[in-house]
Amino acid sequence: MNKFAGFLLVLSLLILPTANAQNLDYNYQSTYSVPIKLSITENFSTKKPLNEGDILQFKTIEDVYVHNTKILEKGTPVSAKIETLITSGMNGFPDEIILNHFEIPGIKDSQLMDEYIKTGQNRCIWVYPLKWALTPVPPVGSFTNLIKGGHAQIKTDHVITIYYYPEWK
Amino acid sequence: MRLVLILLIIASLNLAAQAIENTTLENENTIQTRVDRIGTTLLNKNKTDKRIVFTYNKQTKKKALSADKSISNRQVVIYDGLYQSIQTDDELAAMLSREISTVLKAYNGIIDSAQVTLGAKKFETVADKRAVDYMVNAGYNPLALIVFINKTCPQKRFDRFSRHNLTSKRLAKIYEYITYKYPQYLENNEYINNQYYQNFLLTSIENRKKLDEKIKTKSTKEIDYE
Repeated sequence: MNKFAGFLLVLSLLILPTANAQNLDYNYQSTYSVPIKLSITENFSTKKPLNEGDILQFKTIEDVYVHNTKILEKGTPVSAKIETLITSGMNGFPDEIILNHFEIPGIKDSQLMDEYIKTGQNRCIWVYPLKWALTPVPPVGSFTNLIKGGHAQIKTDHVITIYYYPEWK
Repeated sequence: MRLVLILLIIASLNLAAQAIENTTLENENTIQTRVDRIGTTLLNKNKTDKRIVFTYNKQTKKKALSADKSISNRQVVIYDGLYQSIQTDDELAAMLSREISTVLKAYNGIIDSAQVTLGAKKFETVADKRAVDYMVNAGYNPLALIVFINKTCPQKRFDRFSRHNLTSKRLAKIYEYITYKYPQYLENNEYINNQYYQNFLLTSIENRKKLDEKIKTKSTKEIDYE
């Protein structure tokens, strides 16, 4: 009887941690990561009309190795989705673009740390002090509302680095 | 005999008070556990590599003039007044997702934090959109965000001089975002029999007509919602 109880205890100790791990469809234990360097295929700017969900095209700018094995050739096409688009606004707020869900051949999205944010020129830094300085002279302070922030741009020579964690699920 | 009776009554009153206190503590613990579970799922599934803490607060709402904890402490505080309106896990995920977006902005530095405060109206829309993404990535139905906002945010008269958008505009923008980016949730609509969602459909007919027109004409212009 004691042996049986002991067997049950050992069995439960062995099963429980596994059972907990099985509940999750991710495991971030591994810290081993490989940088993937990308560049956009043609100059991009938020000046042109865009929608969230639109796809941008990139390519790898160098070979990518995992444990000395080449997994991606230089020039491999990669696509990314425009996750969120924040348009520029009054008082120098810039355009902001958030890219995510980079699609790379043979690599799962869940194995990538791939959020990339690009912001236009932020003019709030000088617009707000100017606004406050001009506020005592109404309505001059309100004129700063007309100043908008810059467009977000990604040029072909701009290097974007995302990270591939090959040991993640 | 009378003394024993009085002592018995005092003892039983004490026990009852303790039982009530225990039940309250258990309730708070249950709520906190639920908030932690859903909040952490959102963070993990979205691969958020910044620390965010979720705290349930018994107060009905934030004290006037107190600092916004999501910006100052990078902490998401759920006040009881809002929690009472939450029924499903999807709705709680909706509420937490909105706050996560603000906290992450605060991680970008003081200037970004200040921008969230100064451009509250603009970042309200951004937080709504990001919340939809976080929910979808974590496996929650983003239509719950519409239900949650429809139940909890009142409709002001106008928003021209306000720091917040009209709730009807926010809802229309979220609906548009889901329509373009995650149409599958509208095609297989699990919320079609939800009375709160139906209430949104009823109160958003004019705005949805504008969206239909935009889709029909394939326009990329921003719709001026009411």
